[in-house]
Amino acid sequence: METVYQQDPLYAKAVAIICEVLKVKPELVKPESNIKNDLGADSLDTVSLLMSLEDAFKEPISDETALTLETVGDVVAFISSRKTHVTAV
Amino acid sequence: MKRRVVITGIGIVAPNGATATEFWENCLALQSSVQHIPQNWLNYWQPQSRLWAPLPSIDFDARGINRIERMQLDKSAILAILSAQEALKNANLHSKLIDEKKNLFFINGFSGDRTAIFMGTGIGGISSFAGNEGYHILSPLLNKLQKIAVSPDEFSDVVRAPSRFNPFAVSMTMPNTCSATLGIRFSITGPNRTVCNACASGTMAIGQAFEAIVAGMADAALAGGAEYLADEYGGVFRGFDVAKTLVKQCDDPQTANRPFDRKRSGFLFAEGGSAVLVLEELSQAQNRGAPIIAEVLSHAETFDAHSVMSIDASARQIRRMISKALEEANVLPGEIDYINTHGTSTEQNDEIEAFTIESIFGTRPLINATKALTGHTIGAAGAIETAVTAMSIARKTTHACKNLDEPIRPLNFVTKSGPFEIKTAFTQSFAFGGHNAGLVLREFCS
Repeated sequence: METVYQQDPLYAKAVAIICEVLKVKPELVKPESNIKNDLGADSLDTVSLLMSLEDAFKEPISDETALTLETVGDVVAFISSRKTHVTAV
Repeated sequence: MKRRVVITGIGIVAPNGATATEFWENCLALQSSVQHIPQNWLNYWQPQSRLWAPLPSIDFDARGINRIERMQLDKSAILAILSAQEALKNANLHSKLIDEKKNLFFINGFSGDRTAIFMGTGIGGISSFAGNEGYHILSPLLNKLQKIAVSPDEFSDVVRAPSRFNPFAVSMTMPNTCSATLGIRFSITGPNRTVCNACASGTMAIGQAFEAIVAGMADAALAGGAEYLADEYGGVFRGFDVAKTLVKQCDDPQTANRPFDRKRSGFLFAEGGSAVLVLEELSQAQNRGAPIIAEVLSHAETFDAHSVMSIDASARQIRRMISKALEEANVLPGEIDYINTHGTSTEQNDEIEAFTIESIFGTRPLINATKALTGHTIGAAGAIETAVTAMSIARKTTHACKNLDEPIRPLNFVTKSGPFEIKTAFTQSFAFGGHNAGLVLREFCS
């Protein structure tokens, strides 16, 4: 699974944003990394991360959706699904 | 014995300069920033004034304000940070990064507990408020247009909204956003206050910081003002335009803004600006070998109790403010070598201010108006002008009065930028509401 993610440009872009906002090294960011517990995001960091992801992917993230995005994999899966959805439409 | 207070650092961002050095060089060269207002503002109304003073292009990343911070901070707070970090650097105070994620610093050799922050602002985070309010009001309309198969692009000339309601809307909008942001960024934990008295805010913030140090509440302070007034829709500009305060003769933009000239027609609205001064109790400054720019001798405030929108023609409270400032400084009117005026270029202000100066100080002191070069930065104006006053003392040089062809009074207006013997100086500000404030500064003598 990790290999598939790492080959995905969307994953790479998401990791770059996570590293920029949370000031963590890329090698520490795994698909299963919990954004709060493993990467040290507090509530303000989480808001900043969501804003950065919205800007980078031109995709609004609702408050309800934000609550479901616990891991890096959750973030990538959500953005990927939205991008697929948008493309299909 | 009264504690003495000195200015040891200055940082400035203004329409005619992104740093204090650039600003000063442009002031002496009479370079100002004057352009036509953004075209899209004209989609909302037909203003009487068509000019403003935009800020210069600033590389925020290069100056330490990262993309994440720019999403979370009102631009007034960003300008305040830029000014503060420049002021600290010029005061030979070095900041150490203590939190990379939050971009927080500690000032080496400074006691955070004994340092205060006094920042002035006229309208706080009005720009952020306008943007978020725009999203709040317009996003349902945009959704409805899409539902009835009308492209929102057809209305994009007037229906423009940010991409989101910013989660930091409250902290960006609150008037104390600048003072709080500076305290957090530089780990300054002493008294932290916001002075919100319109166009006199910057002068009062510096004056109240001076008083706090004299009283022993703090040994140092970051003090000044910051303002950011542009919004997507031009609504802030409209407020001043409808009040008929803005420059009207706009045929030749470079000559439109002309304080104390017979052909003046109003003030030039500035996009924003900021100035922050490092104030220190004298012994602290001397003990660390700080560069001393000038000494602050006194601060005085009065209130007109007359009108929220116009200056009292009798100038009774302005005269009382000046008298108090001179008395506290133990300085006679004849000892004032230079006055940096409020000088807005409005008909009423300049008439009353010039007459009052002449009646108290005569025609000896040098007179200039920095707003001729910056436009009116509202809450930052008094701080920028105090900085100019201090720099004029320290460098024995000051700028001329731009566009002053026919002075309304026979005052000693500076007609050419250059060297002058300036030892003791006065700067004053007046504000909507009726606030008057002034500071007496002097060349430092140990």
